[in-house]
Amino acid sequence: MDPMEVFKIEVTGQEDFGKKKYRELIMDILQDLGLIRSIGRLYVYIDVMEPIFAVFGLLRSGIPPLTVKDVGDVMKVEGGYQIKINDEEHMADLLRVLWDRYGRERVEQPVRGVVIIASDTDPSGLMVADLEAEFLQDLTDGLIRVAPEGFRNRRNEMTKDSFFFIAAEETLTPELIAKTKEKVREMENA
Amino acid sequence: MLEPVMFTGGLYKHDLVIELVEDLGGYVLQKNVTQSEVILLILIPSEDKPVLESQIKELRGELVRAPLAGTEVAVVTPTLAIHHLPHTACDIAEYLRRHGSKTNMIGLARGVGQEIAQINEYETSLINEHDAAVFIFGNFKECIRRKESLYRNINVPVVVTGGPEIAKAEMPYAFEYVSSVGRVAHRARKATEIGVLDRIVDAVGRALDKTRAEMAKDPLTTSPPRVMDAVREQVPDVEFSYSPLPIALNLNGLRVKLPYDSYKDAVRAVAFDEGVKLGEIATVRPSRMKDYILVRILPASETGFVF
Repeated sequence: MDPMEVFKIEVTGQEDFGKKKYRELIMDILQDLGLIRSIGRLYVYIDVMEPIFAVFGLLRSGIPPLTVKDVGDVMKVEGGYQIKINDEEHMADLLRVLWDRYGRERVEQPVRGVVIIASDTDPSGLMVADLEAEFLQDLTDGLIRVAPEGFRNRRNEMTKDSFFFIAAEETLTPELIAKTKEKVREMENA
Repeated sequence: MLEPVMFTGGLYKHDLVIELVEDLGGYVLQKNVTQSEVILLILIPSEDKPVLESQIKELRGELVRAPLAGTEVAVVTPTLAIHHLPHTACDIAEYLRRHGSKTNMIGLARGVGQEIAQINEYETSLINEHDAAVFIFGNFKECIRRKESLYRNINVPVVVTGGPEIAKAEMPYAFEYVSSVGRVAHRARKATEIGVLDRIVDAVGRALDKTRAEMAKDPLTTSPPRVMDAVREQVPDVEFSYSPLPIALNLNGLRVKLPYDSYKDAVRAVAFDEGVKLGEIATVRPSRMKDYILVRILPASETGFVF
């Protein structure tokens, strides 16, 4: 079963095997990178003779940025605030943000999972990591991995809720891109 | 006739197996010790195999046929990028190893794409030092057809693997084509996938048999395992080589993993009981792999005798 609402793949010529295999391959790679839940619809267009590889996808609603209160419990203590870390994955990001905001001399880490800040300002709302930017980075990485390796000329257009990726062996001309976009639109409307 | 077999068993008393093989006139090609286990690749005279089998039964070991033992196979991918490795290439290489072959993985520098795929002289001659090559291609028929230029100039038999079914007639330069492999992003674990690996091993086996049959028409002056034994005995420094397999066997010679400049004369001077030196019955030249020594044994038609 596909976790995506729509997953269409179109390959020119007599390449039914390649079509089936690329479906599995894209699923494997997106699953490996943990991206599959964030993609709603996916259209893949492959022209073997040209050769061109294009992917158009619609993203599911945006991911909110990660704040200090998402990674740990913030408590008011004497002389400042204490953060008890629950999610150590973003520890490095958290410390960097706190150092930038309060300065190194005001941030103390007495034990591994606790950070104490000598300040009266509540750090709860500070942004630790922009998960959406990270997701887009991972997505680009995933698309490069999916595309056949010889296709070294790539172009990636990303917006808030969609992305269009095209890769080819030959130079990417505006006409080629427009033609491919038209093909993808046809798939979308079919 | 020497038969290639693989012994797997405990480290305890495994030297009895080695001694028996030597007494029977066989050769130990490779010894791999992993903690308390040992794997031996052995060539044994086929008429003496029951003796070895009973000895191994006593030691509670296992003896299986290793059809590819004593050969070197190149597993070639278009590049070393994540698109081709690790899954398919490593599965195939590992499976060939389990059947006794010495497998080298080679990633081409610019083997990707349809129109831009190319192979250079160095890569070609490196692959030509092997006994057979397996080329791993992708999922599209058209791409596999257009990549023919990569293996057209290779002299050893080439087994091509890829995804779709393609008629053999469409690939005149390939020895055989094995389908249902292609580009996958996961390891081979299903029975059908393992079955495909078996087909690759069978194809490589047939390729090597073809080479053997061709060589039988003009046999080598002496057999490579015999030269290996003599080199091991008379150039003892080879045992101090850092390679896991200091002497790699080919069907028509061997590769001694010592620096060419310092050891070429010692290797040429290796003497046999019959009174000939290795330099007289073989060419000793630098290998394209690092600075190793490549020994190619001359056929009887050039030396005039066989021993």
